[in-house]
Amino acid sequence: MSDGKPAPPGTQPAAVNTGGGQFGAGAGQAAIPAPPKTVRLEIDGRPVEADARDNLIEAARRIGVQIPYFCYHPRLSIAGQCRMCLVESSDAPGRLVPGCQVRVKEGLKVTTTSPAVKENQRGCMEFHLINHPVDCAICDQSGECKLQDYYMEYDHQPTRIRTYKLNKPKREIFGPLVVYDAERCIMCTRCVRFMDEIAREPQLAVVQRGTYSLIATFPGQPLDSKYSGNTVDICPVGALLNRDFRFQSRVWFLGKSPSICTGCANGCNVYLEARGTVAYRVLPRRNEEVNQVWMCDEGRLTHHQVDENRVEWPRQGRGDEAESVGPRLAVERAVELLEPVMGKGGIGIYISAQSTLEEAGAALLLGKELGAERYFLGGKPAGDSDDFLIRADKNPNTRGVKLAAEAFGVRIEERLPEGIKAMFAMRTDGLPEAVAQRLEMLVVAAQNEDAATRAADVALPCMSVYEQDGSVVNWYGRLQRVWPSVPARRGDSAPGWLWVERILAGLGFTHGVKSASAAFQLVSSRSADLAELTLERIPEQGVVLPRLLPADWPKRAPRPPAPPPSEQRGPQTTPPGTKVGDEASGGSR
Amino acid sequence: MTEHPAHEHDPLALESELPSSPMTVNLGPSHPAMHGTVRLVVTLDGETIVDAVPEIGFLHRGFSKSSENSTWTQVMPYTDRLNYVSPYLNNVAYVMGVEKLIGLQVPERAEYIRVLTGEISRITDHLTCIGAIGLELGAFTVFLYAIEARELLWDRIAELSGARVTVSWMRIGGCANDLPPGWVEKLRECLPRVLELTDEIDVLLTRNRIFVDRTRSIGVISGDEALDWGFTGPCLRACGVNYDVRKAHPYSVYPRMDFEIPLGSRGDTYDRYVLRLEEIRQSHKIILQCLDQMPPGPIIVDDWRYALPPKKDVFSSIEGVMAHFKLIMEGIQVPPGEVYAYCEGANGELGFHIVSNGKGKPYTIQVRAPGFPILSALPRLIKGHAVADIIPIFDSINMIGGEVEQ
Repeated sequence: MSDGKPAPPGTQPAAVNTGGGQFGAGAGQAAIPAPPKTVRLEIDGRPVEADARDNLIEAARRIGVQIPYFCYHPRLSIAGQCRMCLVESSDAPGRLVPGCQVRVKEGLKVTTTSPAVKENQRGCMEFHLINHPVDCAICDQSGECKLQDYYMEYDHQPTRIRTYKLNKPKREIFGPLVVYDAERCIMCTRCVRFMDEIAREPQLAVVQRGTYSLIATFPGQPLDSKYSGNTVDICPVGALLNRDFRFQSRVWFLGKSPSICTGCANGCNVYLEARGTVAYRVLPRRNEEVNQVWMCDEGRLTHHQVDENRVEWPRQGRGDEAESVGPRLAVERAVELLEPVMGKGGIGIYISAQSTLEEAGAALLLGKELGAERYFLGGKPAGDSDDFLIRADKNPNTRGVKLAAEAFGVRIEERLPEGIKAMFAMRTDGLPEAVAQRLEMLVVAAQNEDAATRAADVALPCMSVYEQDGSVVNWYGRLQRVWPSVPARRGDSAPGWLWVERILAGLGFTHGVKSASAAFQLVSSRSADLAELTLERIPEQGVVLPRLLPADWPKRAPRPPAPPPSEQRGPQTTPPGTKVGDEASGGSR
Repeated sequence: MTEHPAHEHDPLALESELPSSPMTVNLGPSHPAMHGTVRLVVTLDGETIVDAVPEIGFLHRGFSKSSENSTWTQVMPYTDRLNYVSPYLNNVAYVMGVEKLIGLQVPERAEYIRVLTGEISRITDHLTCIGAIGLELGAFTVFLYAIEARELLWDRIAELSGARVTVSWMRIGGCANDLPPGWVEKLRECLPRVLELTDEIDVLLTRNRIFVDRTRSIGVISGDEALDWGFTGPCLRACGVNYDVRKAHPYSVYPRMDFEIPLGSRGDTYDRYVLRLEEIRQSHKIILQCLDQMPPGPIIVDDWRYALPPKKDVFSSIEGVMAHFKLIMEGIQVPPGEVYAYCEGANGELGFHIVSNGKGKPYTIQVRAPGFPILSALPRLIKGHAVADIIPIFDSINMIGGEVEQ
């Protein structure tokens, strides 16, 4: 795959999709001719240069004017359910038009602050709240809830309703990851549209009518789509909640930092939300060329795997004889074991594709200095895949490890280690106990406890990808940065490259790999693909290594360069970086 | 010791000056005669003060920085601790600033309550100052009288806010709660006793030979010089300069009040004392007028963007709970802007310079503490006097560590 050429960018069709109003209607909708690219209009008396595909909400956002909305999502079809975005337009004097559905037009004059608009917003909020339960104190959405925000901004008045609130199902288990509270639901239908149009598994529907309407799954068919977690993200209120995160933490205690999902080779851009040293949830981060604003359910749970059953302290001795020792003693012991066999043959290096590029580089350097003969590529076993975001390779950095091996000019074998006596393993994923037991000598730097760490002569605790500086390469060759997003709290854990540096120092080599940047340099100085790069120069959105681009692409997988937005459903024309709250939630969070 | 053999034979030599070298003495920071925790490094030539350097910072709490990290409402307790002898006045100056930024009209009753509690605070502040002057010049009775009067008022304050000193009672848009039932009557009952005690202090001190000798023409400063130093409040008015924010830039309901601004003439310690005594009587007059004029009605604005909803609504309506949540978690949303708001504090012009960037927390807040410029002039006031004169002079400027050091 690595010798594939970059795919030719998609040709821009001469039509755009208008979105529409009916669920699932997008595919069959008639295309209208593409309007000119830039349109000039006036919003609240200020001139705006908008993209021709913009609706009024997006055009207003360009000059920092906020038009409130619940049901509109930049990537979904238009529903016009919530009526919150009604504004005055010169095209329709005397009445209000929905900002989500009306597209920009040359010379259009839009007013978002007139008394009629304000009165509509206030009235809308009052209606939305008629049957809303008094739940803020126990609701997970509290603190990132559009109802709270808009109430304070557009209503801020006591209720005038003097009747009982309608009771609806309070905790419907929709599926493995999602629970539904019908009382909190404002029937924006974002989740229904998402399942229809993005996940393409229509598992949700609106049932009943009027005030009694609610979202439901079909009989015998739970919400078990692999993308069901996204419905929680885009839910503007607390109706759909993540069962994994529910009641775990109040959102205002969570700190948010960017990272890369380690669940599979797609390398979805994510935010890790942590309180103290514990990650509580993983949310998608916008990257048009990797994951747009979505991610799969499995990825949302990766922080649990990382957290559970960690190797916390360095130790020496196999199995029951193992004893915890300090980092210095452990390194000394590793040096003691490695020194006699150095250059004597029979040495192997095992690199798990769960390692960062820096860790792989350091392991290769160690192999070179030890005179290792064979290199093995390990990692988690392959799993299911689809044509959107889920890749079969469940390791975040397979391409990166291969790239590093190439850079060092060694052949890395994708098979279980054999034919060697001594081995150093950079992370132990996929290393079976039998193989580990057979080895005369095994030194590992590992993140989680498994059979191989128990069989190791020396086990060194490794930081997870979420905890350290570095980079990974996704399945199609996009080099992406990771940061210490969650503080490492575990014992003496350190990045894998640092353990290697300590061992090398003990063996008498001075390579000075004292930082992630220096470890990155180990690979980049040897690789033409990374020639111009340093760790610090990798942009937040990552950089494509053109040589690695594959020839074949899964049908719907986001790819570089990002396809023209006209090909996407409900284009998100807002340039990345525009503050829309959190972009993944379509401004709901 | 240097020997002076000439003295043995020449009796006139006893009258001549003893040669001496300057001596540096620390006064404070923890000295029974020092107001607050402040240190004076005094250079003495014998008994005479040659130079003095006031050193502050022992009570520094990082007011500005703390405020930047709290919501607009959470700043209130920090303001209590500025001039902790008259906390209501600090509260008022701060909320006036925020309300100016928002453009908020406070209900009339709240304005009266603010003036009322502010004037009570002014009396307690002046009583503390006068009592301390008396105490430190040996008139312990005066101190007891002043403290009795002050306690009577602090009891009323405690009944109102639940705290004697750290009241945190003003709210943006009004006050925390209405006057409790029977409170006005209690206040009316104790006010005559406060005046009576004030009169007794007057009788005990104002014509007291010892007191007059210790304070008259001590620590003199002219009006012009005081203005140059940035004096405001009683210390400035004691020099005969007629500047009182309540008259010069009337705010709240002060224009409706009938009261006078007492003025001194000499600018010495004695005038500063007498002036405070007279201001207590004027404040008493204002309090009575407030009680007479105060209309019934709401004590805080009825706008959930600024005032917390009533508890009934918070517990039983989604609108109430959301407004409460947003106000507590994110704070009042104050429009971006910059204001300077000021009122007549007990020691002079108490000003808040407030900058908002439109968020729930202040971008920055700076305080113009009236005590700061006055304390800066302390070396100028005590230079040339004897060590013993430091005490009455320092007392009469009524330096409050909380506001000077913030």
